[in-house]
This record gives sequence, structure tokens and C-alpha cells, in this order.
Amino acid sequence: MKKVLFFALILCLMAGTAVSAGTIKIGLMAPITGAWASEGQDMQQIVELLAEEINAAGGINGQKIEILTEDDGGDPRTAALAAQRLSTQGIVAVIGTYGSAVTEASQGIYDEAGLIQVANGSTAIRLSEKGLKYFMRTCPRDDEQGLVAFKTLKSGGYKSIAILHDNSSYAKGLADEAKALLEKDGANIVFYDALTPKENDYSAILTKMKAAKPDVVFFTGYYGEAGLLLRQKMEMNWNVPFLGGDATNNPDLVKIAGNDAAAGFMFLSPPVPQDLDSQEAKAFMTAYKKKYNAEPGSVWAVLSGDGLRVVAEAIKATGSTEQDKLVAYLKTKMDNFPGLTGQISFNDKGDRVGDLYRVYKVDNNGKFIMQ
Amino acid sequence: MKNKRIVIYVAFGVILLLSPSFLNAYWVDVLNNVGLYTILALSLNIILGHAGLFHMGHAAFYALGAYTTAIINTTYHIPILWLLPVSGLVAGLAALVVARPIIHLRGDYLLIVTIGLVEIIRIALVNNVFGITGGSNGIFGISRPVLLGWKINKPWEFFYLIWGFAAVTIFLFDRLEKSRFGRALNYLREDDVAAEGSGINTAHYKLIAFVIGAFWAGMVGNIFAAKMTIIAPESFNFWESVVLFMIVLLGGRGSIPGVILGSFLVLGLPEIFRQFATARMLIFGAFMVVMMIFRTEGILPPLPRKYPIAKVLGREGSV
Amino acid sequence: MELFIQQLTNGLAVGGIYALIALGYTMVYGVLKLINFAHGDLFTIGAYLGLTLLTTLGLTNYLGPFGVVIVLALMVMGLVAIVGAALERVAYRPLRTSHRLSAVVSALGASIFFQNAVMLIYGARYKVYPHDILPRTAIHVFGLDIPLIRLLILLTSIVMMIGLYLFIQRTKIGTAIRAAAIDQGAAKLMGINVDRVIMIVFLIGPALGGAAGLMVGLYYGQINFTMGWLYGLKAFTAAILGGIGNIPGAMVGGLLLGVIEAMGAAYISIAWKDAIAFCVLILILIVRPTGLLGERVAEKI
Repeated sequence: MKKVLFFALILCLMAGTAVSAGTIKIGLMAPITGAWASEGQDMQQIVELLAEEINAAGGINGQKIEILTEDDGGDPRTAALAAQRLSTQGIVAVIGTYGSAVTEASQGIYDEAGLIQVANGSTAIRLSEKGLKYFMRTCPRDDEQGLVAFKTLKSGGYKSIAILHDNSSYAKGLADEAKALLEKDGANIVFYDALTPKENDYSAILTKMKAAKPDVVFFTGYYGEAGLLLRQKMEMNWNVPFLGGDATNNPDLVKIAGNDAAAGFMFLSPPVPQDLDSQEAKAFMTAYKKKYNAEPGSVWAVLSGDGLRVVAEAIKATGSTEQDKLVAYLKTKMDNFPGLTGQISFNDKGDRVGDLYRVYKVDNNGKFIMQ
Repeated sequence: MKNKRIVIYVAFGVILLLSPSFLNAYWVDVLNNVGLYTILALSLNIILGHAGLFHMGHAAFYALGAYTTAIINTTYHIPILWLLPVSGLVAGLAALVVARPIIHLRGDYLLIVTIGLVEIIRIALVNNVFGITGGSNGIFGISRPVLLGWKINKPWEFFYLIWGFAAVTIFLFDRLEKSRFGRALNYLREDDVAAEGSGINTAHYKLIAFVIGAFWAGMVGNIFAAKMTIIAPESFNFWESVVLFMIVLLGGRGSIPGVILGSFLVLGLPEIFRQFATARMLIFGAFMVVMMIFRTEGILPPLPRKYPIAKVLGREGSV
Repeated sequence: MELFIQQLTNGLAVGGIYALIALGYTMVYGVLKLINFAHGDLFTIGAYLGLTLLTTLGLTNYLGPFGVVIVLALMVMGLVAIVGAALERVAYRPLRTSHRLSAVVSALGASIFFQNAVMLIYGARYKVYPHDILPRTAIHVFGLDIPLIRLLILLTSIVMMIGLYLFIQRTKIGTAIRAAAIDQGAAKLMGINVDRVIMIVFLIGPALGGAAGLMVGLYYGQINFTMGWLYGLKAFTAAILGGIGNIPGAMVGGLLLGVIEAMGAAYISIAWKDAIAFCVLILILIVRPTGLLGERVAEKI
């Protein structure tokens, strides 16, 4: 009897998701629970804020937009379900998601459903090398950052370099890119290994790294671990310069490390709205602070906002919600659209074009200064 | 009582069989996941439910099957379904090798060892062991299965493949449960000294249960790989093993209908709770606690075994 | 050699925290034969409560650093003990007479519940303790810089372990706990209030877990809502390694696990360190099936 009831329950809930007409629906797939919940909830906040703004300004071509959020839990299996769920709800495009492996699990489903997917944090190279027509991303790719990391390290004049990643798909990709370029150039990689993310004590790793005597450490993982590494490095009285990848761009890094330990830390990142003079970036910062009473956390969440803005712009410009027209517009016609993270154009693979990366350095007061 | 149960099972089976015709792709895919976990949990049920071995590392064998399929399929392009027995065999052999030295460990010691196994395998996969697992990227580009010339691609097509496999599993495991082997497992679960005394080679039986469970999990890995077309180590972490463990215990140890219901609840409820957004897992956790309090032996514990003594003694004694 | 000693101290500091959490696992297990999977989350709750108390009460205004830590520790331990006792009352007591594994599922459910409750209350972002609570001096021994706090962590764990051991061995309540651990039925017949004993166990175990959470927060600074799961698993491993149900065993197991991890990272591979730790655990269990200090339980006849 219970099973029958249970089944009836499923049916009822399905009926609840009936389509409401008259609005343009845009999906957001984000990790709002699970290990990346903080990024995912930021994404949700920003996308909802921007949608409210668009609606307050009269919507797109007179139609309001509606955001449908699905949780991908930061894991591929849940993401595949979230993608199935979104593709049955009459949406035009999907914004998201964060992790590369998670995006990958959903790519095929959106492509089959003919939905545009604008990923915001998935930097793995292969995602856009499959020839998927409807896939795009507002974030740069790992190879681009690898090149910038290489140039930065080279111009710093460092001879022996330690590279540390966290074995995530993203961090390892970046570490490998940079390592290959550095080795080709004749630099000496004295240390290359992975830490276990989400731990608290990295002193064993730092001790081992210190013994290898590098001139610089390039850490490609996330801000939480980077903050702890900096803090524990200072406790050991070890003064080696640290360079971080773009996943370290989060003000929480300084909170975790403390101002004195974070000072001098350098990292690569697409520019955050705080550093851009553009009108859009400033307006966004004001609105965000007003609504949530804080500064936006990671740049990836801001990139999901850009995802929404480019889709909205494409709908506005083409006057259509047909995916083929929108994709054609985004890939060929959109030219230097003023985004929250600088100007946006896409190539025909769906990758964002242009030199996006900047080098940042943390000053003595814990502020991120663009170099 | 028994007849009523059978009516419910049949009704349930018919509704399930027809469900792709009235459910959308999303719910069909939820049912696909439920199906995969049903088969996995049934295979764990042999080890945990029947043999009573505290095994919290079932995802390890599931992973081995999935990776076996993925590696062979992407390098030699052998059709997916041909690899089904191969995946099972690899997982089963691995179970045979690792279980032999640990099978005698008592309850909780075995529990941590199996957790250790699943973690070791995950770490090996992440670190791209032997250069064949693709590290944390995993393996992508796995082909879709083709069954009798029909390419299985859409959720509803997978639905029939998965639930067909589940039906075969249920049938075979039901036979196994009722066999001499199944009774022997139950005996050693309840009292392995007494079982040993009655001439049951307990270590041998436990090992066989372990290998059968692992073999089946390996085969599920094969279908999972074909369904996802990309597999990554994160799909096989310790938490997946915990989920399977919970399914078996929540549904009812040693009860096939219980395990099926368990997978519906453990996989279905978080989907239904999606409307609570960030609170969905909170509600799910509370639900688990409440469920265990009210149904301490699981929701549908196995019916007591009945032996037709009446037939033996004539008609007088009713059982 | 210097490197070896440095890594040894690194491992011991981490191990001290594992040991402290493992004590809670082992105590509960000893009496109830229950693996309390929610224990790691009680540790998380301790860390978050510590932060809340620290930032809202402004203790730093009238107390010195160690005064603050002691007052804070007592408050956190008290509060987490209450949560622990409530957990026992709600999620475990109704299951006491049923199969052991039923309570494990209840514990897993409670773990999911606590983890998500912390996320909903405090948010998913990392939280950070203020930096200037503890002095950051290092001691120079054998030409090494060893942060003072690392030594203090280790020392605190050892002191708590010894205190707990004496409490269990020397006091009347301790004797009751031991009696209940051996045979609840017989203990009842001897006039021991087993319910009360279990309640006490569920006050002490979580209190130790909460203290560990506070220590992690104070020392490492960064806390997040998922950290209990990882620490819980490590501590459970440590408890098993030492022989679960055995208090000195939890201590030895915790310290040993910390050292194995540090040495594995230092001399083999950082990326494989957890796998190395589990391999060592499995090997030890193959040789000593009940852990290092676990009792050889006779097979029941």
C-alpha cells in the first residue's frame, strides 16, 4: 500500500510543475548543497538579483524572465538528474554550472534537448572541444590560464618551482598545463604533488616542500586551502613567494590566512567587478551590496551573472527565443558586450575570447590589488 | 497477508512497467537511478543482509566494474553489453583477492576495512593509477549500449534496460535466498559458531557471498558507465557506499521488497524534496531518523521463513 | 633527521585532534556497541558554537588568552554535551533494543541532519576565527621551529585522555560505565541505572568532540560545515586502529594515524597519504584483528 501511495505522491508532484505561460524561462544549475554550496548559493543570489533588475526594467522585449534553479549537488549523477529536470520545463537556456566534471555530465543532455548552456566555472579544455553546438562558457579555459601562469613565473625570474594542486579536475589541469610549458622552457620543477582538499593541517606538505627549496610555489587549488597554506607557511617562518590560480580569488582567503600571512600573495584571475571602471560593474556592485549587504564572493559566481546577461542580450537583440538564432547571435554577432567581468565575445567553439587574466597581489591590508 | 502482498507487487510492477508512458524524461531518469541503486542494493543485500557482514565499501566494486567497462570500451571499442560479464568478473575477482584476508574480521573492524577499500580505490583512480583511469577527469566518450540492433540512448530506453536487468536480478536473488546457500548464510549471520558446528564452512560461505555481491555490483557499474558516458572518481566515493548501506537497512535487511522500497525512498525523496531547495537534505536526514525509530527493523523486514510442515504432517497442523 | 622530527611533530599535532575525537567514538562504542556516525558533526557544532560565543560575548575584553580559551572550552563542552544527550534521547534510545545496524542508520540520518542544519544556520561559506586569540610563538628545539600551540594541542589531548582514563577507572560513575559496557543486563541487576550511565557517556563523548572542534577552530582558524565528516572518519579509523572501546587505544590510534599520515606524505606521496594510512590500517587489522590495544574477545560459544 505504501508503494502505491508513494507513487501517487510522485504523480502529484509532477503535476505541480505545470508550465506557466507568458514568461521567458531561464534555468540555473548550481551546486546549492554539497561541498561547493558556498559557490552555488552565490551563483543563485547573483543570477536572481540580475533577473530582478531585468524585470524591474520591464523585462526583455516586454516579457518578464523567470529563473528556475536546480541543485546539482556538485556531483555528476545529481547533475544529470538536474539537467533532465530542467530540460523538461520549457526553458530557453541554462546558466551553469561550476565544476567541470559536473558540467560534463549535463552537457549531452542539454545538447540533445537543444538547450543553450552557458557554463560559468568549468574551465576544462575538452568541454568546448567536442563540437557541441549549444555549449558556451563565460569563464576562460585552463590552457589560457596555464600560459599566463607560465609567463608570470618566467618574468618573475624564478628558477626552481614547486607546483601543488589538489587533484581536482580543474586544479590538476591547470598544474599540468603550467608544468608542461615551464619544463619546455627549461625551468626546474623541484616539487609536483597534490594535497587533499578540505583538510586543516598542511604542515606535513609544507615541510616537505620546504626541503625541496623552491624559489616560488604555484598552487592551483582553491582559496580555502590556499589560505591555510599561507598561514601555516608563516608559522614555519618560511618566506617563499606563493602564486595562486584563479580559484584562489575569494576575499575569504585573506580572512583565513590573516592579513600578515596573505600579504604578498599573488594570484591570477579574470577581473572582478570591484576592479572594473565600467558602468555595468559599478551598478552591479552597488545593487549587490544593497541587497545582500556584502561583497560578492567568488568571481565564478559573478561569471554566472554574465551568463544570464549575455543570454538576455541575445534574446533582446534577436527578438526570439529560438536556440539556433540565439547561438548564432552569441557566437558570431555579439562583440565586446560589456559584462560584469570585462568585455565579452565568444568564438565558434563557445569559448570566451580575449585576454582575460590579470595578475593580482595582496597588499598589507589584505586588499586585492590588480597589477 | 501473503496474497495481499502479491497483489501489491503485481500492481506495482505493472505501474512501473507503464510509467515511461506518463512520466517525463526527468522522472524516468529518476527511476533509472532508482533502478541502478536497487540492483546495487540487492547485491549488497546478499553480503550485508543475508550474510550479515558489515560492508560499507560496495562502491569500490561498482567503480571497478564501471572503470573496466570504460577503459576497455574506449581503447578497444568493444560493445558495452559484451563487457557486462567482464566487468562483473573483474569486480568479483577483486573481491575474492581482497576479501580472503579480511573476511574473518568482526563487525565494526570489517566495516572500517571496507571503508578503507573504497577510499583506496577512489584515491588510486584520482591519481591515475597505471595511467589508465584518467585521474580526476575520469574517462569520457563511452559508447551507448546496443541491444539486438537497438541503440539505447533516451531515458525511457535505459529504463527498460535497467529495470529488465533489475527483474532478472530480483528473480535470481529470490531463488538464491530460498536455496540451501541462502539458508546457510542466514544461519551463519545469526550464529556463526553454531553454523560452523553444523558443518557450514563459514569463511567459505562468507567469501562466496562477497564475491557474488561484488560481481553484481561490477555489472551495474557497466550499465552506469554506458548511461553516463563519462565516469569520474567522485561518482564512487565513500558516500555512495553509505547510501547503499542505508538503502538496505532502511528497507529491511534481507528483504528484496524492502530493499526495492528502500532505494525508492533514499533516491526518490531527495528529488521530491527539491522544492525545499537548500533544506532538502536536512529534511531527508530527519526523515531517516524518524523512519528508523518507527520501523527499527526497516520498513519491510523479511517475512519469517515458513516451511510447509503441514504438508509433511498431513493437514492437521496449520502454520 | 631534522626533517623526520619536524614531520613527527606535525603528525603528532594532527593525531592529537584525531585522538580527542576518537575518545568520543570509543566511549559510546564501549557502552552501546554503536558507531556514532554523527559524532563528527558534533565536532563541527563545537567549532561553530565556539566561534559564535567568541564573537558575541567579547570575552577577550576581560580575560587573557588562556582564560578565554578555558572559559570558551567549558561553555562549548557544556553546550555540545547537551546536544549529544539530546541526540541520544531522540535518535538512539528508541533503537536500543533493536539490531545494532538500525542505530547506525539513525546515526547517519542524524549526521546528514546536523551537517545541513549547520549549513542553513551559518551559511555555506568558510567561517574564520579571529586571529589574535592565541600567541603565535614558536619554540626552538633541536634547531626546529615548533609552534607552541601544536604542543599545547597535543598536551591538552593527553591531559584529557588521562583525566578520562582516571575517571573511568577510579570513580564510582566510571565503574558503573565499565559495568554497563560489559553487560547491561547484569549491571541493571546490580542496581546501576543504565539509562543514566548512557546519558553520562553521551555527555562526555560529545563534550570531547566539541572541545576538539574548538581547538581546530582556534588553531587553524578556518571551519566549514562539512569538516566533521572527514575528521569523523579519520577519528573512527583511529579508534578502530587502537581497538575500539578502549580509551588508551583511541589515544594511541589517533596519534599513530596522525604520524602515519605525516610520514606517508613526507616519504612516499602526499596525494596517496590517505590510501597509505588505510593500507597500514588493513595490514594491522590482518595481524591483530581487534586493533592494537583491543581485547582479544573470545568467540561466543
